[in-house]
Amino acid sequence: MLGKPDAHDRVIGNILSRYITEDRGLWYGSGSYKVPRFLLNDIARYWRTMAVDLAYKQRTRGGAGFALRTIKLRISRKLIYIAGLLSCFTYETDLDPAQRRAMFDGGPLPVLAHLKALMMRSPLEIAAGALLPFPELDVHSEGLFSAYDDFLGLLADDDKRGRLKKIPFEDLPKDPTFKEAQLISYRFRDAVQSIFLRSDNLLGKLTIEYGVF
Amino acid sequence: MRHIGFSTGAVAGGDFSSALALLAAYPEIDCIELSALRLHEVDPLVRAIPKLDLGRYIYISFHAPSFFTADEEAHLVETLERAVPKAWPIVLHPDAIHDAARWRALGNRVAIENMDRRKSGGRTAHELRSSFELLPDARFCFDLGHARQCDTSMTESYRILEAYGPRLAQLHVSEVNSASQHDPITYATKLGFQSVAHLIPPQVPLIIESRVSASEISKEVDAVIDSLPLLTEIAALT
Repeated sequence: MLGKPDAHDRVIGNILSRYITEDRGLWYGSGSYKVPRFLLNDIARYWRTMAVDLAYKQRTRGGAGFALRTIKLRISRKLIYIAGLLSCFTYETDLDPAQRRAMFDGGPLPVLAHLKALMMRSPLEIAAGALLPFPELDVHSEGLFSAYDDFLGLLADDDKRGRLKKIPFEDLPKDPTFKEAQLISYRFRDAVQSIFLRSDNLLGKLTIEYGVF
Repeated sequence: MRHIGFSTGAVAGGDFSSALALLAAYPEIDCIELSALRLHEVDPLVRAIPKLDLGRYIYISFHAPSFFTADEEAHLVETLERAVPKAWPIVLHPDAIHDAARWRALGNRVAIENMDRRKSGGRTAHELRSSFELLPDARFCFDLGHARQCDTSMTESYRILEAYGPRLAQLHVSEVNSASQHDPITYATKLGFQSVAHLIPPQVPLIIESRVSASEISKEVDAVIDSLPLLTEIAALT
């Protein structure tokens, strides 16, 4: 974060305040889950915007930087979306029914304070905190974080990062660095799908119900 | 009905006698904060205390200076300890403290106040924690205007009240503008204050810090009553 955190903190608080206090479905909806849908919608919209931005830069810059950008989109940008999704699910995943009822009975401020405290954390911390209470998902969580760790290791290697910035389109299929990055992104994708696109766990159920349509 | 009063500093700056004379005309005001925000205002005020007619007030507090040097601190603490009645909370800015041990000796007579956004500490629930660690018996003067200036969503106000509500001695109530001056309450601020009103116990005195002229006193009292309705009044409104 650049500069003092005060302004950032104020802006985040005020933005989240609108999403929480003005979401009638969150307060009066008949659905079984407490999920702030407008916030989730805009988080999904931001994720899609990042995807469109990849296509835009491909059009305007050709192959320059494409390999690095596509790997980032598949892993770190996707993690931002995952963290946003998990933040929206927090009232279901982090609270038991009695805690949830007590929080929502207290009006918007405790609901907002809970979400804001969560969203001030980094995407990796949000994901770790959300996955930890689900031991049945440990094998997939391990897959997600080890893939992310390898992705960070790849980007920390100046030679490989430099190579990813320069690979022309035509060399992508046979470039060993891109191949290595691609395999990491496949492992990340597989772990994400095993967690979020299966209805045998709460995170998957919520994603299917709120994250798709 | 809430207990409401003014800071003498809001009504007449350092001229506490004029402030008390002015406020005497308002029977609905049953609390007062005697303000000595500048160090040179302390001695005249504490010398006058035995002679002041304060019988009508059910709650009285004393605002300590907001700035003094480390060399001046010992004498100030000694003066306040000796000359301010023990039942009166002494409101203290956390950033004014040099040697916490001196103030710790005053125990729960000290009420730490949360700060505005010009300061680098004492503004949030998290930042206040270190002050209360240094002064574990201190009570709390919650400046609602400062807290709203730092976070207009009122989330931080909620956090502060959640963390330090049991320590509450009094509130400071006013609009705090972008230059950190205390002004009369605006409509937007009233809505913000109303969102935390239910967290403020009815017995906690509300000390108005809005800088108002004599003709604006009643209007500001009404604005504060509207801003911080009691739980029963909130229920009646909904």
